[in-house]
Amino acid sequence: MTSFLLRAERLTKVYPDGTVALSGVDLEVRPGEVLGLLGENGAGKTTLTKILSGLLSPTSGRLFTPSGPVRFHSPKDALRLGIGMVHQHFALVGTFTALENVALGLGGVSLPALRKKLEALVAETGLRVPLDVPVEKLAVGERQRVEILKVLARNVNLLILDEPTSVLTPAETAELFRFLRALKENGKSVVFITHKLKEALAITDRIVVLRRGRVAGEVETGRTTAAELARLMVGAEEVGRLSSVELGLQAEAAVKEARAASEPALVAQNLRVRGDTGELAVRDLSFALFPGEILGIAGVEGNGQTELVEALCGLRPIESGTVLLLGRSVAGRSPLELYRLGLAHIPEDRWKHGLILSFTVMENAVLGMQREPMFRGALGVLRRRAALAHAGRLVREFQIQTAGLHVPAKSLSGGNQQKLIVGRELAKGPKVIVAAQPTRGLDIGAAQFIRELLLRLREEGRAILLVSADLDEVLALSDRVAFMYEGTFTGIAKPAELTPETIGLLMGGVKAGVR
Amino acid sequence: MRRLWLGIRPLAESLLAGVIGLGGGALIMWAWGYNPWPAYRVLFQESFGNAYGLASALANATPLILTALAFAIGARAGLFIIGAEGMMYMGAMAAVATSLLRLPSGLHPLLSLVLAALAGILWGLVPALLRALRGVHEVISTIMFNWLSHFLAFYLVANVLVDPVRAEKTVSVARTARLPLLVRGTDLSLGIVVAAGCALLAYLWLWHTVSGYEVRAAGANPEAARYAGVSPRTTVLLVFALAGAFGGLAGAVETMGRPPTYAVYSGLTNIAGFGFDGIGVAMIGRNHPLGIIPAAVFYGGLQAGARLMQMWAKVPFEMVRAVQGVIVLALALPELLRIFRRLRRARRTS
Ligand SMILES: Nc1ncnc2c1ncn2[C@@H]1O[C@H](COP(=O)(O)OP(=O)(O)O)[C@@H](O)[C@H]1O
Ligand SMILES: [Mg+2]
Repeated sequence: MTSFLLRAERLTKVYPDGTVALSGVDLEVRPGEVLGLLGENGAGKTTLTKILSGLLSPTSGRLFTPSGPVRFHSPKDALRLGIGMVHQHFALVGTFTALENVALGLGGVSLPALRKKLEALVAETGLRVPLDVPVEKLAVGERQRVEILKVLARNVNLLILDEPTSVLTPAETAELFRFLRALKENGKSVVFITHKLKEALAITDRIVVLRRGRVAGEVETGRTTAAELARLMVGAEEVGRLSSVELGLQAEAAVKEARAASEPALVAQNLRVRGDTGELAVRDLSFALFPGEILGIAGVEGNGQTELVEALCGLRPIESGTVLLLGRSVAGRSPLELYRLGLAHIPEDRWKHGLILSFTVMENAVLGMQREPMFRGALGVLRRRAALAHAGRLVREFQIQTAGLHVPAKSLSGGNQQKLIVGRELAKGPKVIVAAQPTRGLDIGAAQFIRELLLRLREEGRAILLVSADLDEVLALSDRVAFMYEGTFTGIAKPAELTPETIGLLMGGVKAGVR
Repeated sequence: MRRLWLGIRPLAESLLAGVIGLGGGALIMWAWGYNPWPAYRVLFQESFGNAYGLASALANATPLILTALAFAIGARAGLFIIGAEGMMYMGAMAAVATSLLRLPSGLHPLLSLVLAALAGILWGLVPALLRALRGVHEVISTIMFNWLSHFLAFYLVANVLVDPVRAEKTVSVARTARLPLLVRGTDLSLGIVVAAGCALLAYLWLWHTVSGYEVRAAGANPEAARYAGVSPRTTVLLVFALAGAFGGLAGAVETMGRPPTYAVYSGLTNIAGFGFDGIGVAMIGRNHPLGIIPAAVFYGGLQAGARLMQMWAKVPFEMVRAVQGVIVLALALPELLRIFRRLRRARRTS
């Protein structure tokens, strides 16, 4: 019998909206180990660890410590038993120093005493944290260390890190790994969440793979391979199902012949784009998108897809490299100019870029086109009648369920909001369409509607870049699929040429010998 | 059905808030041993129940409509422009100064109004540029500019525009530059037409022009607006200019259209506060230009009625102020809550 620190039995979590995030998950954390928790986006990793750290309570299932069953009502309860978590999103007071932030979490400590303690902790673990600089002045990696210090200061013996490397540069990641090893030597345990195969293999002792809320497998790190992990992560049976003609809409090879003769509609060459924190989110990316083609971009979210799309659509500056839209350079042009050149963008974040929720359906229907002569009359008057007619057309053509054209967009369901955005963008008559997560969160009917629409647009000869975290979708719709990992493509291939293993490897960042 | 409700809902909320406010006020009076019934009767009869009362309410409402517009237009664009007070001082100074000129009576008030509006615009220019170019938050800068304006106006009243024979006030606005009274024997001047006209224009601009559409878009969702080609800088400058014009006009209509003095008193006692009251009025009017008109009239009526309430219903002045405060607060509450909700949402999504 192995000793354990914390054990979860048959954990199930159903969110209030009915999402089953976990079903019957068993997990054991042993003393002095780094346990990897590996899984695709949405596999339930965050949910699981939130339960372990007392932030969420499970719908059913139980937690045990060596002294018996426990029940956490809040993270405080977990901390009392030595379990602490660092979340994907930080919770620091920007104007406070690291020392003050830690003190804030503890409550009622003397700063000098705390400083002594933290300095000892820093010496012990090699965690470099400037204690006296306001946190807002620190780099992301340093802020993460402050968060870690906050948890360590509570004398935890189990530290849970939710995708800690997603915000780190490679050098910072290496440093984090050194620190985790030091922590282990001091007898502490770590639960390390990631979706990157390489990292899981590099730092963990044991790996539990989650897939769609279930444990897909548990392996000793020393005795596994990237290929095995990839298969566990993606699931062989699912990949098999994908290649079947799910929507009856598979690519027609004939259409593709025309392509060889035509000029590419969108070309990127050695494209580099920086993310919000200044790191290189897109690194030397090159591709060409042809009329009459859907080029899919698959990959775990957070590997630069968002930044790529924003750069292509004029929402984010291009660091270096070139992007040509129908032969013209995209760099330095605003979204409005790009739309006039023939680009439409179905944004990933509908509520941020796509819609104005408090505006009516009619007002949203002309957003971005409000200065077209069709909608702007003499003296700059908004031609409401034309706008109304336009909105009515969209509602009919795209089967948008709405109580009217004068109700605010927030009264529409998610699927109908998306149809409104898609309809508006397509009404611009674009030659190139960049669709980012176009069916995310939609019900099956609406998702299907939009997928069919994309295929129809392809048949019409438009060029479509489809970025989606839904692997099934990308494989089913795309003529070619590119796999994006840490800002570059690990490979581009036709869906039919892909096996589950190669997909898993490409998604996990292993460059394979596929074109 | 749904559409009807969406249109009526703000109105229904405001009416409910009004009832709650009156109830709360009554409760306060009752708790301190005053009879709310006659007090309210005096209040409403005297301020809205007869021609004279109504005229005073409208006269009080005149500058408030304009300062409220200044705030509301900012709010629609997502800006918290607290600067109407300072803009109003500058408008009043410009109006008094212009009246020193000799001009025919048709042209004179017109020029005064234009220059007052320009003075307000100029006064908003620095905060506008600070916001547009350096991202300095407009709440901070406009409050600072209110103080600057306060002391500048103090100085101008005492030293430059001072009446040579009556040192406690500025020279009076020339007869040729005064706004004619609409009802003889009352304070109600043509200013109310100017103010209501501005409200109407603001409404048409916001809801019937592309520029107004873009400004509302920038206020409701800056990211989406930027994506749709709306320049944040242009929006800030445009909105500040309009707010400045309205603020400046507020000072002008008050000095040019309010008998008997047609001047500004030292200490700014006869104009101070309209800018801040305007914020409350804008809230009551749900930051809608057309909602602001009845809101300002109601507010102006409360002010006029308060004096009489004290006289006729024997309610002490402090009590009247407290009751007034409760009513105004209750009426402003729906809009305040909406703004807080929006701020919270904005913080969550960013
Ligand atoms: N608060 C929530 N309400 C509803 N569904 C949620 C919530 N949080 C997560 N989910 C859903 O639960 C599933 C698991 O999510 P999560 O635990 O965040 O996965 P991971 O961390 O592995 O990416 C996903 O389908 C996600 O959409
Ligand atoms: Mg997660």
